[in-house]
Parts: sequence; structure tokens; C-alpha cells
Amino acid sequence: MHSSTLRTAPIHLTRTLQHPSFTTARSLRPCIVAKWLQSRRLTTASPRTQEVIPLRKHLKDEAKRKKAEVKRDGNVLSTKQTSDSRLDKWELTVGIEIHAELNTACKLFSSAPAEVSVGDDGGSANSRVAAFDAALPGTQPQFQIATLLPALRAAIALECEVQRKSGWDRKHYFHWDQPNGYQITQYYRPFAKDGSLTLGAFDGVPAEDLNGAESITIGIKQIQMEQDTAKTMNVGSSTYHVDLNRAGMPLIEVITLPHIHSPQTAAAVVRKIQAVLKGVDACVTGMELGGLRADVNVSVRQRGTSGTGSSYSGVSGLGQRTEIKNLSSFKAVEDAIVAERDRQISVLEAGGVIEGETRGWTLGATETTRLRGKEGEVDYRYMPDADLPPLVIGSDLVKHLKTTMPMLPDAVEQDLEEWHGLSRKDAKTLNEQDNGDRVEFFERTASFLLAEVGTFKSEVSTGKERRKTGKLVGNWVLHELGGLLATHQRSWDDVRVTADELKDILVCLHKNQITARAAKQILAELVQRQPAPKGPYWPSMDTRPSVEQLIDAGNLRLRPLSEHEYEKLAKQIMDASPEMVKAVREKGQKGKVMWFVGQMVRQGEEGTVEPEKAKVVIERLMDG
Amino acid sequence: IPYSEPSLILSLGATPSPKQLVDIIEAALIMLARLAPRTRQTRYIHARSFARTFVTSHHRQISIERDTNGHIDLEKLLSKPTWSVASLLPPKDQEATVSEVSSKQLHHLLRLSALPPPKDAAEEAQMLSTLTSQLHFVKEIQRVDTSGVEPLRSLRDETVQGESEAELGMDALKGALDMEETRGTHYRRIKRKRGVRLPEEGEQWDPLGTASKKTGRFFVVEGGKND
Repeated sequence: MHSSTLRTAPIHLTRTLQHPSFTTARSLRPCIVAKWLQSRRLTTASPRTQEVIPLRKHLKDEAKRKKAEVKRDGNVLSTKQTSDSRLDKWELTVGIEIHAELNTACKLFSSAPAEVSVGDDGGSANSRVAAFDAALPGTQPQFQIATLLPALRAAIALECEVQRKSGWDRKHYFHWDQPNGYQITQYYRPFAKDGSLTLGAFDGVPAEDLNGAESITIGIKQIQMEQDTAKTMNVGSSTYHVDLNRAGMPLIEVITLPHIHSPQTAAAVVRKIQAVLKGVDACVTGMELGGLRADVNVSVRQRGTSGTGSSYSGVSGLGQRTEIKNLSSFKAVEDAIVAERDRQISVLEAGGVIEGETRGWTLGATETTRLRGKEGEVDYRYMPDADLPPLVIGSDLVKHLKTTMPMLPDAVEQDLEEWHGLSRKDAKTLNEQDNGDRVEFFERTASFLLAEVGTFKSEVSTGKERRKTGKLVGNWVLHELGGLLATHQRSWDDVRVTADELKDILVCLHKNQITARAAKQILAELVQRQPAPKGPYWPSMDTRPSVEQLIDAGNLRLRPLSEHEYEKLAKQIMDASPEMVKAVREKGQKGKVMWFVGQMVRQGEEGTVEPEKAKVVIERLMDG
Repeated sequence: IPYSEPSLILSLGATPSPKQLVDIIEAALIMLARLAPRTRQTRYIHARSFARTFVTSHHRQISIERDTNGHIDLEKLLSKPTWSVASLLPPKDQEATVSEVSSKQLHHLLRLSALPPPKDAAEEAQMLSTLTSQLHFVKEIQRVDTSGVEPLRSLRDETVQGESEAELGMDALKGALDMEETRGTHYRRIKRKRGVRLPEEGEQWDPLGTASKKTGRFFVVEGGKND
């Protein structure tokens, strides 16, 4: 590739780009173009191509992976088993430091806006920079009081003691992303100390960590407020572009105690902290958007010994720790800890010594890379900031925030599980959707449905009924509605299905007026329709039909077939496919009965065949 | 008078310049520390080893005179100082005694500080007496008990009233609390209202206006190693 072609795409790509059919039929495979662009360093986007892996998918993938491993390895002593035997001898200890962006209107020490506002030019680089953020000489920091609210809520949610008086300190180091030459943080006196976080098996904590208990408690050493740095982007070989929009944004740093003993627990802790912070509206951008970053400290020691005798804030008997910086996804946290643990065990078993260094992790790597050794340790020269007065927090404010705290995600999920009868996994997934809007929708639908079809004979029956309806509504809101959103690529805000409409559908379903299949169809129809225009100029006539109207229009009302008609349809299908009949009758593959049911539903008229009855009929015919 | 941090402003008479003074005293202290008996960690003579509270008056308590109505005559009160720096210096009669620093040590110190040696015996005697009084002064300062005293960070109002004024409570955060809304009926959630921009203070400025190297809307930094 000679220099003259550096600015043009390679020949084989040019040809495909000019191909007429490609632009209309399919898009270019992203990996080639992205790789080429990246190799030419022409992309300025940060490499945030990590996928957002939802919780259910993550759990499913883990289960699949474990199953595949068991199947593959069987009795052979695999590397997994050797590593397990190493783990019998060595114990891992992890401490986590999380930096999360606070949800505020202004930055921490200047009145520059923290978010892009519609209208003015807030989206371009270096457009939300105050004089102090750019470190113009003579500028002074001005603490923005409103940033205290989300920080205090975060501290209260993590059960910390809020300190009445805390201080601001300077952490000095030189880098392009630090215009002032120091970061204002709270090193000597943080504003909240001594909290805790409780996790259970449903949060992803493995059984060996729980040790038979229901939950484990991770101590939180302190929470402190600090400034964020600017954004730098690498363009070209050694040129960097600096964007000061992010400089001075408020962050909180949550430091846990080294109570974590497995990589899965560490990832679960980060997940849980993110969920808690989102639940109290303290930090609303998640890890996948770069709003939350984690640094982990990893050390190993032989079980039963006290390592090298190092200690960290009260926890003693630990080995020498190394720090892994800038992990930006849950999977990265887990993988990096596993890689670092294995590396440390290998070094120690070979007779070496672990040095206290700073290491880095890239996605897809197998080992952590060394960023900075002990010699390269920076002396931050911490000193109290003389420009800022100490932060004095009134106890009346803390009390008010404690009493008006929103429900924490744990409490919401527990309520969904116990009151509404959802499974814990469903409750967790439901709670994670759309910032709690989906749970709200679920709650309203469930209460409407219960009001209409519920009978209030006795406490027992209402409890069981409530849980049954809760489960039904939960399935519909989570799986059906969620599935429709995914297929039609809508976000929750675009969806105009009201709780009343869903309630109507489910009432009809409950009363057996329509089949489940018809109900799904109606829901799909409603999701795609536009909402009714409201206003003084339009009469109250709805362009949005009600559920009843849709049922009548689509002729979806269940017209139950007689036994005779079921049998006729079943025989028709059985005659059409004798080999399937043989499979069921002779080979005993009972699962294929459902195939027949499906065929009956499909071939029968819409809204006539009920799958349960059809199954009974087919089984009877198979036997007879 | 409530006790506040020691903030002494000292002015010494005709002595070597402050920088030279610091050099001499530092060297002298280190030498004395080496010579002094090692009862405790004498590397830095700790103030707590000689506990003496800081008092405004060295020898006697001044009783404030009030007239028959209970008023204080301020002019009379403020006409005579109740404390002087001289209380930290050695008394005049003590200067005649043998100084702590020997002549040999003085010459060594002057060589260490790159200062010219004394021209004659009179100058040397004067230097020795000055050094002795300065060392006495420093030891008197070190006798102050600073246990429990926070280092001064800046000059602020540290009275109880000042702290209560600086306290951030409900009234201070009222504006921010009004910017939030409560969502949801059964599961209450709090959400900050977005897009509500406070009126801009100050004029708009261009952050890139002071940059010598820029591209588009970015500052440009060359991060390569110097060649």
C-alpha cells in the first residue's frame, strides 16, 4: 500500500462499494470497514463497540457455556478442573473502586451545564466549558450546591454515614485531560463512610461465596465526590484531540472493602451498585455508556495463611495487591479478575513475588498488561484545597432525604415477587427496563385486571388470584410487549399501549373470549397504531379503536368448536402427514404432539381452535 | 477571647536576612539535635515533650479594669501592649552567659551556609549572641502545645455561627429539590427534570479562543516523545 492510496479505500473494497446492488440489497459487513478505518486511525469514536448484554442473556449464556463444558469434558481432567484445584489452595480477594457520573444539571465547581440541552449548540465539543474548567488563570472553583442531592442519595442508598463536615483536597498530576494540573477530590475527609451492600444468589453471587447463607454483605469504605477529567481522543500516531466538556463533571467514587472473594461476585457487586444508583436517580448513565467505570484491586493468598500480611482499612492478612484500571463493562470486570488471579497464582507457585503495580485490561485479551510499576508511582502531593471552604451538610437535609428515598431496586423486586407472584428473575428483568416505567405499567395493569376479574371472597383466594394475575400480566408486559418492542425496534417512550388496553385484552383472554394467539395479534396491532390525537379541535372520536372493536373487526372472537369438528380437523392433519403419526405412535416421541397442535391452530380458522383442547383430542386419537 | 490558631507575625531587628536566618537555624537545630541526649526521638524536637499552653501574657494576667458603670475604657486598655515578642527572646541578663553555640560550630555553620566568616572577634561575639537569642526564641516557640490543633488551611470564619451559616440544609437545597419530580404511584421514583436551564450568567466565551493549536472544535496536543 503506497502512500498515494492512503486516503482511498483498498482496491477490493472500492469495487464492492461501487457495486450497484450492495447499496440497496445489503450493507457492507461492518468489521472490514471498521478495521480498515481503525487501522488508518480515521475514527474518532471511542471504541465503545462492546455490546450491552442484558441480564437474562448473560445468565442464559453462562448456563449454556457450563452445559457445553460439562458435555465436552466429561471425565477428562480439563484445564477448568486443574484451575479448580488451584483455587482450592489459593484464595482470591478483590476490592473495587467505582467512579460514577452524578445526575446533575451543572458541573461540580462551575455553572457550566452538565447535559446537552436542546436548542443551543451543546452537542459539539468544547461548548460546555466554564472559565474554571479551562483553568484560566485567576479562576476560582464555586461549589454547586445542587450536586449534593444525588451524592447524598447515593450515600444513603448504600447505607453510609454522612459526615457533617468534609473537605476538598487537590490531587496533583500532569496530563492533557487535567487542565488545572490537579483534580479536586476528597482524600482526607470524604463525605460518607462505612456503608454496606447486600447481595444474594439472585444477584449472581455463586454458591460457594454464599457459604450456605442467604446473602453476603460487602462493606463500603467510603464515598467521595470528585471531578471528572476531560476527554482525549487519539487521532493519528501521536496527536490527541482534547474535549473539555467532560472536565469538571461531578463523579462519586465508591470504594468497597476487600470482602469479595470471586470474580462473579465482583461483577455482581458492580451490577448491583449500578442498579442501586440508577434506582435513586443518582447516576443514570450506565457502564455501557461510559457513565460508570470500575478499577479493581486483586490479591491472592494461600487459604489458611495471611498472605504477605498486607492489610487495607481493617482487613488484614492479605497478599500483595495489584490494581487493574479502567474496566468498562461487567464482563470485562469478571474476565480481568480471572486473568489477573491466574497470573498471580502462576507467579507465586513458580516462587516469584507479586509487585504492587498498576495493570490494564483490553477486551479479548488473556492476560492483564502492565501499565505502571512501583517506580513509576506518581506522588500526588495531596493537599487541602485552599480556595474551597469545607463542606458542611445539615442533618435536616439528610433526614429529609432518608424519609423521601425512592424504593430501592431490592425492595421493588421483593414486592414484585411476594405480592405479585413473579419469579425473582422476571422481577429483576422487569425492574431493569426503561428506568422503572415498565414496572409502573405492570403495576397499573395488574391492579386494573384484578379489579375487574378478581373476586374478593377471602384473603386466601385474593392472594392466590393476585399472584396468578400478576404472573399473567408479568409475562405479557415483559415477554410479549418486550418482544414486540424488539421486533418493531421501538423504545418504550414511543409505545402508546395504555394499561387499560392491555387490561382489556387480558380480561377477554381470561374470560376465554379470545385465544392467546389472537390476543397477541391484537397487542401487536395496538403497538403499531398511532395514539389518538387529543385537543380542542378534534372531537372525542378516537382513531384508535378499542380492544372490543379490534376483536370484532378481526373476527377474533372465540367460536369454540365442537368435539366432532376437532376430531375432523385432527384426522385431516394426521392423514396428511403419516410419518409424524408414526413417530408419535411407534417411536414414542410424545413431543411431536405439539407439532400437530400447531398445525391444527394454523389450519383452523382464526380464533376457533384452542390449543389445550386440541392437544387432548390429538392424544386421544393417537392412542385410539 | 476564644483561642484561635497561632498566626504570629514576627519582625526581628537588625539580623541576617530571613533566608540566611532560616539556613542558620536549620543547621543549628540539626546539630543540636545530634548533640542532645536521646531521651526520645530528638530528630525533630516535638512540641509535646515540653507542654506549655499558649498564653497571651508571659508573666501575669492582666485584669481588665472597669469603671463604676461596668464600661471598659478602650483607649486606656489598648494603650499598653499586654504581650510582646520580647517575651520569647532571652532576658537581657542571660545574654552575657556562655552561648550554646561554640565558635567552632559557628564557623562550621557559616561554611555550610556559604556565608562569609566574621571579620573580627567583636563581630563573632555579636553573631554568637544573636544566634543564641534566636535559638532561645525558637525553643520557646516549640514549647507551645499544639496537640489537637488542626493545621491552618485558610482564613475562614470558624466560629460556631460561621459554620451554621455555611451549613447546607433544606433551605439551601430548596431550589434543587424543586427541580425534581416524583414519578409513579405504587413504586415511587424520583427523577430530575431535564432541560430546565437556569439563565446564563456572564457572557458567552469561546474556550478555543486562547488556544494556539486547534482543529475544528478540539484542542490539539502532540503526545509523541520529543525527538
